Amino acid sequence: MLIRGIKSKPVYTPLAPDLGGRTHLLVGFGVGAEPLTRLMADCTLAGVTKASRRLLYVTDKSASMAMHEMMRHADAGEVQLFKDSASLLSEFETILKASIMGTRLYVAGPEAFMGLVMRIAARFNLNRDEIRAEECGSPARRVHCIHCRAATEDVTTNIVQCVDCQRWLVVRDHYSRRLAAYMGVMIDAEVPGELPPIEEVFV
Amino acid sequence: MSHSHTFAVTVTAITQVTPLIKHFVLKAADGAQMPSFSGGSHVVVVMKGATRVYRNPYSLLSSPNDLSAYEIAVRRADQSRGGSVFMHDHVTVGMTLQIAHPVNLFQLDKLALKHVLFAGGVGITAIAAQLEDLKMGAVPYELHYSVRAPDHAAFADRLLARHGDRVRIYHDSAEHRIDIEGLVAAQPLGTHVYVCGPTPMIGRVLASARAAGWAESHIHWEQFSAPPVGDPFDVFLKKSNVKVSVLPDQSLLEAIEDAGVDAPYLCRGGVCGECKCRVLEVDGVLVHNDHYLSPEEKASGTLIMPCVSRAHGKNLVLDL
Repeated sequence: MLIRGIKSKPVYTPLAPDLGGRTHLLVGFGVGAEPLTRLMADCTLAGVTKASRRLLYVTDKSASMAMHEMMRHADAGEVQLFKDSASLLSEFETILKASIMGTRLYVAGPEAFMGLVMRIAARFNLNRDEIRAEECGSPARRVHCIHCRAATEDVTTNIVQCVDCQRWLVVRDHYSRRLAAYMGVMIDAEVPGELPPIEEVFV
Repeated sequence: MSHSHTFAVTVTAITQVTPLIKHFVLKAADGAQMPSFSGGSHVVVVMKGATRVYRNPYSLLSSPNDLSAYEIAVRRADQSRGGSVFMHDHVTVGMTLQIAHPVNLFQLDKLALKHVLFAGGVGITAIAAQLEDLKMGAVPYELHYSVRAPDHAAFADRLLARHGDRVRIYHDSAEHRIDIEGLVAAQPLGTHVYVCGPTPMIGRVLASARAAGWAESHIHWEQFSAPPVGDPFDVFLKKSNVKVSVLPDQSLLEAIEDAGVDAPYLCRGGVCGECKCRVLEVDGVLVHNDHYLSPEEKASGTLIMPCVSRAHGKNLVLDL
């Protein structure tokens, strides 16, 4: 069972240069290297200077060594590679604090990662006309337990046990940009332990 | 429809604040509190002249936190249809006027991390009320207010007293100009810019912000166009089955209202889109004076904003 058709589920589109911007901040995870490489080439074609581009990238097992090397030598004024998402996000926040109006953000990678990036961007009041995002990689979800508010990471099943309160949660399509997660709602409240079949759906 | 939303107010004070601007204090005729509003709102004032009715939008400049009265400021425009001249020459203390409920088409962005406001001349009115809202909050703000000369600085003392060094006044007469380009070039992320003033000033702020890479969602402006005087023309309102003649100093909307047809409106300044009307037939050209329709919509010849726009030609049929 799955609850679908909720409008808050984000819609992503292929990355393209926003020529209105003056500084272009590119943030990627894993196989997000591919769309970012394409974007940098399109930027060059469109006349966006290399110096105005800054890349932050974190690799993972979804990306090949070749992709990692491609990012290391990426066509951007400044390239920063990270070993994990947390250190990338921390640096990203530091950069935004020092950034000025005229900045555009491009994000590529799995939705769970992009949600964390865009949650920070939202704190700096970057609006939808300043952010472009292309989804690629694992469709695993970050799930927010509406009962204890803990986040369960890398959820690939329709029903998941909350990492914190251990309740069984059904994963809804209801997405929160503020929490960067899908809502998980207790599924066996009436008859504890009575669960519908658990299926791998976000793979 | 729109007309029934008006209520009666009494003019309780009138002050000449600059050589061209008069300030009016309006209180509810029944002594009640005024309807609440947010900074940036305007009201439409209905003025019953000797031969015709004027309905002009004026921004509320008083504090949204003080609902004992509304304050508006009217700049005298001699070369126009006569609403502002009526306010200057015929409205006296004690007189009753009808006004529409406030509408806000120039809102502050509630998620902004900083507000930079530009005002020129009488454009200060909408911004003055916004500053009152900002004063209540914790988000940084700054106003750059340009006036012709010291004696044209309406409300300068009041603004400086209320907001201190967050307000900077610039005098054209002293060649003291706002460095708009410099100010928008290096603002922190999350800044929003607002401008209300003469057309060239709005143009400079929009152009400077766009040149610095600002996204449209961070740029806010308001400019009410007075309906320009033009050639007379006739219009046929198909649904109402009425033929209307529009006089040179009358707007299309005013002529429609005079004919007893109740057309929708909100701002009467070509901004809000409420009066947008379908053009069924036109033999001639539409003269678009609004800031609402896109260039494509204007070129299509199928839509018109009767509050400020006109037509040249023999035949115009509207879906009203």
